[in-house]
Amino acid sequence: MRYFSRVSENDLDFLEGLLGSRNLSTREEELIANSIDAYQGGFHKPEVVVWPEEPEQVSQILRYCNERRIPVYTRGGGTGLSGTTPIHGGVLISTVKMNRIIEVMDRDMQVRVQPGLIYERLNKELESHGLFFPPDPASASYCTIGGMVACNASGLKAVKYGTTRDYVLGFQAAFPDGSLRRVGFHTFKYSTGYDLVKMMVGSQGTLGVFTEITLRLRTLPEHAETIAAFFPSIRLATETIYHIVRRGLDVAALEFMDGWMTRAVSEFKGLGFPEAGAMILVESHGTRSAVRETLSRVRDIIREHGGFGIMEAEDEASRKRLWDARRGAYPATLRLAKTLVISDIIVPLSRLAEAVEKAYEIGDRHGVKVYCIGHFGDGNIHAHWCAEERGDEVLRKLHEANDEYSLYAISVGGAVSAEHGIGTEKKKFLRLQHPEAYDLLLKVKRMIDPNCILSPGIMFDVDEVIG
Amino acid sequence: MDVLWEGLGEYSEDILRCIRCGFCNSVCPTSNASFSYMASKTSRGRLVMLQSILRKSSTINPLDREFRRLIDLCFGCRRCLEVCPAGVRIPQLMWRVRSLGGGGGRLRLMLKHYGAIEKTASRIHRLSNLILGSRLGRRILQTLAGIDSRAPFPRFSPPLESMIKQSPGQGRPLAYFIDIFTNYHESGLGLRVAGFLERLGYSVYAPVQREAGTPLLEEGLLEEAKQVARFNVSSLLREVERGARILTSSPAAYLALKRDYPELLGDEDSRVVAENTVDVLEIIREEVDGGRIRFREGRGRLIYHSSCFSKATGMSGLIIGLLESAGYSVEVREECCGIAGMWGMMREHYEEALDVGSRLFSKIRGADVPVVSQSETCRLQISHHAGVRTLHPFEALLGRIQSR
Ligand SMILES: Cc1cc2nc3c(=O)[nH]c(=O)nc-3n(C[C@H](O)[C@H](O)[C@H](O)COP(=O)(O)OP(=O)(O)OC[C@H]3O[C@@H](n4cnc5c(N)ncnc54)[C@H](O)[C@@H]3O)c2cc1C
Ligand code: SF4
Ligand code: SF4
Repeated sequence: MRYFSRVSENDLDFLEGLLGSRNLSTREEELIANSIDAYQGGFHKPEVVVWPEEPEQVSQILRYCNERRIPVYTRGGGTGLSGTTPIHGGVLISTVKMNRIIEVMDRDMQVRVQPGLIYERLNKELESHGLFFPPDPASASYCTIGGMVACNASGLKAVKYGTTRDYVLGFQAAFPDGSLRRVGFHTFKYSTGYDLVKMMVGSQGTLGVFTEITLRLRTLPEHAETIAAFFPSIRLATETIYHIVRRGLDVAALEFMDGWMTRAVSEFKGLGFPEAGAMILVESHGTRSAVRETLSRVRDIIREHGGFGIMEAEDEASRKRLWDARRGAYPATLRLAKTLVISDIIVPLSRLAEAVEKAYEIGDRHGVKVYCIGHFGDGNIHAHWCAEERGDEVLRKLHEANDEYSLYAISVGGAVSAEHGIGTEKKKFLRLQHPEAYDLLLKVKRMIDPNCILSPGIMFDVDEVIG
Repeated sequence: MDVLWEGLGEYSEDILRCIRCGFCNSVCPTSNASFSYMASKTSRGRLVMLQSILRKSSTINPLDREFRRLIDLCFGCRRCLEVCPAGVRIPQLMWRVRSLGGGGGRLRLMLKHYGAIEKTASRIHRLSNLILGSRLGRRILQTLAGIDSRAPFPRFSPPLESMIKQSPGQGRPLAYFIDIFTNYHESGLGLRVAGFLERLGYSVYAPVQREAGTPLLEEGLLEEAKQVARFNVSSLLREVERGARILTSSPAAYLALKRDYPELLGDEDSRVVAENTVDVLEIIREEVDGGRIRFREGRGRLIYHSSCFSKATGMSGLIIGLLESAGYSVEVREECCGIAGMWGMMREHYEEALDVGSRLFSKIRGADVPVVSQSETCRLQISHHAGVRTLHPFEALLGRIQSR
């Protein structure tokens, strides 16, 4: 028998009464447009899309759906890469209408926002305050704050600034029992028992729906400079990265690209980079003199490890050119590969060179091309598994290689996802990832969402939760 | 559905290449209008729907009128091309989807002949203006051509092509590719452009030509657009072979020659014409850089509206640079005005266009300085809805130019 109820005419009447007719749609076009995210996982249509405008409406939707056992999925920018689409149908809450900045608390260096606000728009607004919310994922122009909190997103600058989790001070969220609760504080630290705020970050819509978020902010750096360098081998590049971190140098970004990716980007963007085994990009933020001092030491380390072709960018325009090279990696790969799966593993620093070689070895064994880039300052590797053909069979092969890579990450004490989340893609690894605590994870889920109406099939299979 | 596979040819591959990142949505004017809280009204939504059809994962019929309305929310501004990581040729793809059918017959018929209609109306411009200046006239226009009676509609002027030479005289030859708007609605501007260039030693003339044909492309009338493109390319190529460069003053004309024709025809001739096409503003830049003209001392303020096509051609940077060299302090506005050629004039899009443009209008309404925009229809829309004075960049520069 089917566990979940289908959305009925009565249910639609209820939703329409609650939200108004403009704020729901069952049109095929709209259902389809919300049926897939940036993960290659096929189309999974919700039965209805709703656009609440008030937190109370969200909590009422949850209460109602919990009673009726109707699945509820939440969608922000839909840029997720782990597969968080409505695989069991039901109601899809789109947060796009809850997209305001509620309050910039300048003196407290905090901001209160609604969950559907797009990341880039927040930082644009904060510029006049000299503040910013640092995580900076590559999807900045379209991902939402709610989605970032739900996935614990981060980006190029995590090595200095950390991840979204480090900035969430509190939130208001709706829960399946129909409650709307505020959790957290307006302080930068606290010692007040279990940390429910941090627990909810990364929960991918499986525990509650954020309706408001309070973020800690940072001061925009006074000065920034970037340098790029090339290396004869991967190992020399990763050694350089290790020593930059180990010597405690204050770098804001520490990026790696393997030789193939360097070549591909150079050709794609016409940058004329030299032939190399690998390339790194280093950025430092702070006062001008501190940045100069840091980067002069970085240059020494680069030279000690055989780095060459050092390129320096001191002003905005030349920095942008160097970062364009890094940002060009994804488009360059997309021009060359028709099918692409990207890993998001993270390994201990000592394993970096080994992890890149492991990707090549797995690729060889599966007959799959693979190229590595990553936020190596914190051990995060995005291996790009590529194929020049399209089709389900090809995609399966790439996923198999990627799965093996995930298992490798777990085996060396790493994690299957550093930024993108578990979603449907990696739920099969969750037990392995938490061998002695998996049952606790399940208990948390069951306690908060006993009927498993929130994002069912994401992170856990439904049977496991209700089992 | 097979109609898509068959009808789109190589463009099906563009659909499949989309990774659904949403970057196009972040810059797309219609995807940021208030009605686009619905994902199906956004650019990524259109790609997702097309993917679902190709992969047989939805029941959407690509020939359905309602679906076509969603496709029509792409008005071809090309902002998305700058940001799409997968290199999806989004507007060009939408032209092809429209070419499959599902659109309005009356509009198509009108568009097929719009070059000739405009020409006739321009020849009898006094009468045309009299008629279109009346409510009844606008209602007739609405009924016949679907142009909303509330939308700004440009007055007709006598045809520019009949006011300038048809073949080169003395001086460096510039064959003027005029396009509809300058030819039949703003011939005064075209005359000033020609006069100015003549004084610099150029010989400006109007070779045989038809309209640029952008509305045909937009409507998906690809065969008709190709015919127009072939006609223009073969005529302009003759002028290039005679040693002329092709002159434009409208961003749509420039874009057609530089990008659209080569893409549409894929031949060497159109590439040669593209290489030899130059805008009047580029010539001013060349002349300033070559020290043959300079700007008079002076100060002033103005607002520069970076039209979608000025962005797409990369011309905005050049224009801002010129205006600043001419002593203006320039406030740049990137927001779209919503008109997109004829799109925002059409009855079914008039309200949507206002929604798109409202973010711009609220920023410039009541401005005490002129708004400069390269695009003729943007100037029309902006002056109509924001009530401000508008200028072509050439006009803002002209008063400041001193020949040596
Ligand atoms: C081109 C590209 C580049 C990317 N680069 C990065 C990167 O550098 N770093 C990185 O970390 N990620 C990256 N991502 C992944 C993705 O952008 C992030 O995971 C982002 O945080 C998702 O935000 P979203 O608003 O799009 O969320 P969605 O995709 O809409 O949702 C993601 C998850 O969050 C949940 N969710 C959304 N809103 C709420 C809410 N209000 N309450 C509860 N749950 C909610 C959803 O239910 C879902 O489980 C990239 C994606 C793309 C397409
Ligand atoms: S061409 Fe313009 S209107 Fe069309 S999708 Fe791109 S940005 Fe949107
Ligand atoms: S920017 Fe390109 S890849 Fe991204 S959603 Fe739009 S069309 Fe697809």
